[in-house]
Amino acid sequence: MEDLAQAAIEAALKIGASFVDVRIENTTTTIIEINDAITKQSIASRMKGAGIRAFTDGAWAFAQTTNLTPEGMRLTGESVAKLALATRDRVEESFEIDGPSFEGKFVLSVKKPFSSISIEEKMDLVKMIDDQARDYDKRIVSTRSIYGELWSKVIIANSLGTNVSMENSVPRIISVSTAKEGSNRQRMQKSIGVRGGFEEMETEPAQNLGNTTAKLAVDLLSSEAAKGGIYDVVMDPILNGVLTHEAFGHAAEADNWPAHSTVLEDKIGERMGPAFLSISDDPTLPGKRGSTEYDWEGTKTRKRLLVKDGVLTELLHSLETSSRLDMEPNGSSRSQSFMYPPLPRMSNTFMEPRDWDLDELITDTKTGILLCSFNYGYTQPAKGQFMFQASHGYMIENGEMGQMVRDVSLAGNILEVLPKIDAIGKDFELDAGTCGKGGQAVPVMTGGPHARIRAVPVGGM
Amino acid sequence: MSEQLLDLAERAVKMAEKLGADQAEAYIGKSSAFVIDVENSAIKSAEEQRDAGIGIRTIIDKKIGFAYVTTLYEDDIKEVVSMSVDLAKASIADPDFVSLPSDDSAYPEVNGLYDKAIKEMSSDAAADYVIRVIDASKQVLEGREFAIEGGIQTSCGTSAIANSLGVSKTSSKTSITLYSLPIVKEGEDQTTSYEYQVSRKLSDIDPEWVGETAAHLTLNTLGPKTIEGGEMPVVFGPLGAASVLGRGFADAISAEEVQKGRSYISDAFGDKIASDIVTITDNALLDFGIGSRSYDSEGHPTQVTPIIEDGILKSLLHNSYTANKDDVPNTGNASRPSYSGLPSISTTNFILSPGKGTLDDLVSEIDRGVICNRTGDRPNMTTGDLSAMLLEGFYIEKGEIKHPLKNTLVGINMRDLLQRISRVGEDTRTSFSMVTPSFVIESATVTSG
Repeated sequence: MEDLAQAAIEAALKIGASFVDVRIENTTTTIIEINDAITKQSIASRMKGAGIRAFTDGAWAFAQTTNLTPEGMRLTGESVAKLALATRDRVEESFEIDGPSFEGKFVLSVKKPFSSISIEEKMDLVKMIDDQARDYDKRIVSTRSIYGELWSKVIIANSLGTNVSMENSVPRIISVSTAKEGSNRQRMQKSIGVRGGFEEMETEPAQNLGNTTAKLAVDLLSSEAAKGGIYDVVMDPILNGVLTHEAFGHAAEADNWPAHSTVLEDKIGERMGPAFLSISDDPTLPGKRGSTEYDWEGTKTRKRLLVKDGVLTELLHSLETSSRLDMEPNGSSRSQSFMYPPLPRMSNTFMEPRDWDLDELITDTKTGILLCSFNYGYTQPAKGQFMFQASHGYMIENGEMGQMVRDVSLAGNILEVLPKIDAIGKDFELDAGTCGKGGQAVPVMTGGPHARIRAVPVGGM
Repeated sequence: MSEQLLDLAERAVKMAEKLGADQAEAYIGKSSAFVIDVENSAIKSAEEQRDAGIGIRTIIDKKIGFAYVTTLYEDDIKEVVSMSVDLAKASIADPDFVSLPSDDSAYPEVNGLYDKAIKEMSSDAAADYVIRVIDASKQVLEGREFAIEGGIQTSCGTSAIANSLGVSKTSSKTSITLYSLPIVKEGEDQTTSYEYQVSRKLSDIDPEWVGETAAHLTLNTLGPKTIEGGEMPVVFGPLGAASVLGRGFADAISAEEVQKGRSYISDAFGDKIASDIVTITDNALLDFGIGSRSYDSEGHPTQVTPIIEDGILKSLLHNSYTANKDDVPNTGNASRPSYSGLPSISTTNFILSPGKGTLDDLVSEIDRGVICNRTGDRPNMTTGDLSAMLLEGFYIEKGEIKHPLKNTLVGINMRDLLQRISRVGEDTRTSFSMVTPSFVIESATVTSG
């Protein structure tokens, strides 16, 4: 496989590319979905192919091939180099790609590899979770349970001398329950996703996921739609992760700098929020869904201190952005698969915990709203505008948790909201997610402690 | 080429039957796309995307399996056929599954889905279009601090589908997308908007219009403010209408969601669910339509399906499974993400019938309200509750647009939104599969701060 990568690299260099890189991927996935005790879908896939990039004088070209023979690789290498040369005549800014090279083979050892577990056993897990949710309460009228696994091996090589291979193994279980009482219908979704083998699906939280979502869906039946207005908001760890990821993390992706597409552009070294606020992105955490030893350009990964003591200190880099901004590469470039060129991306992103107890935080808030978990979120880094929606929450009245509310949205601007954070808890939790950018989805985790933001607009009915 | 793909698909079906499948279906997707990306107002990269793969659905005793591979090599196809059969064997039977669709000779004709000019467009010609777009944006923004993102994508795809019941169909489509997204900075204020065109026909594309409009839209959003919230009318511009109906309503009338009790309109089938002036049609047969097709992704013929007529819910969108389950005609709305997934249900061209008046006319009738030109939000499909951030919103006072908005949300339940549509404009716009004019809702909760 290494020889195949070299065949493409040599062919592209010969045509005149100044930098070339290759990703060769072999991935298998399985998805099993059971709805209301019936198999809705069981899907297996094989992804095999190579993505090749060539660069010269500020112009990039990319192509992929599934013809994994020396001849196929050579031809694609040549064609992509020719495309880069043709594009060169149209670019306006010239720069070079440089960086350290890495060699290594990362073998992920897991207790129970997916391939050692029969389809029947995986089906049984999903069925158990699905039955569990339905058996929880007679008001649960619909259940949906999904198991997904992805095993992959990627070889990455480039013309700087990098030659690495790495394995990944990420299982995930998702449970969705719908509860109904009269015409009131409520739905709740929770998932557990980690990095490891099938043994990670045998933990107590994973085995009880059906009960967890069923309980929340039933609880939601007595929730009310929140009234829109300006509130002091306490975020739970999951929603805090969404804020950190959506409202801040995307804007710290360094490809925004050459493109002038982030409101953080002039803020490196400047204060973003209070001195007790630190935000990190750490792909080296063991067993986490967003972790990788190397990024998809073959750069060794390390923890990134995006905000340290309130100050914007580090960005998420690809080789291009670290070269152009003259900063240290930190291994943040990822692709969904060999079919896509890599982009600066997050991994496991979180707010660092501080010293508040949750109880203290609620008591101290007096009047406000505790927002929990999330439905979805999105952001426009160029404008700094973000929006995300909590799946549920609780009104805080007289320093105590009160009425449960649902579907509460929070909107704001990155630069305005971070300074409004005035208390950060000492607890910590990460939640599994999938992040989309440029049409590419990659596994991530997001989280942090409970934290409070003062006076933000909360949307309601 | 399409005959070769059909041949491969038919052979895969036979392989599956040999391994014990009662019914089998093979779907092959093969596409090539050319993409140019613009960064900081100049071309930055070019991409040749080639994708070809096959997905196999097998059914054994009402148990369903599916497997796909990202190549079309014989050995890989053999492997995924057997994976699919193994998965079917291990699955739990679905008593509601009746059959895959059978061959139907009455396939409608749809014109204009393939343009040779797009297929044969050179990389140089594509680059020229991109440069015209950037230049047009630049001209409007001259003298300002700005950076333009943009790009073009031309694509050409062929699909082939075959099943055990004699379905054997293949077709090819082309499309082109062109966009400009300027970012403008003025003091501490940084803002962005975008404009795009997507078409199946190269001659529809007007790079100067895309570039100029994108720049003007961006300038319009400079200096956003918050307002005093409250109950007030909301005007949805054509693209705002497309996202609120596309994300908020199209999924709600998917028969699958309704059958599962996951849709907020499931109790309301056959009732008056919208105001009298609302008529919505799903039309797969529109010439040149982005969502058009003569057969759906299971090979069933497509059609024109009335969804809402004068406010009354007329039909849901079906694929073969949901139609068999409800024992109603299949509307031919099966759709799949190329070869890599099982058919679900989606709209083809989802058309809100136009009324009278331009966006300006609708605005002029409002004393105090907001405009939602764009939002990225979707409702809770089970309850219908929608809380939408105005990605591009404006404040209206005494019939005039006063200023752009920031940190502003519109809250309303989708059932109320449909009932409260008081005006529909005539300014129809196509955005992918949504074909929508502006509309006004009498009142919603606006939060801003």
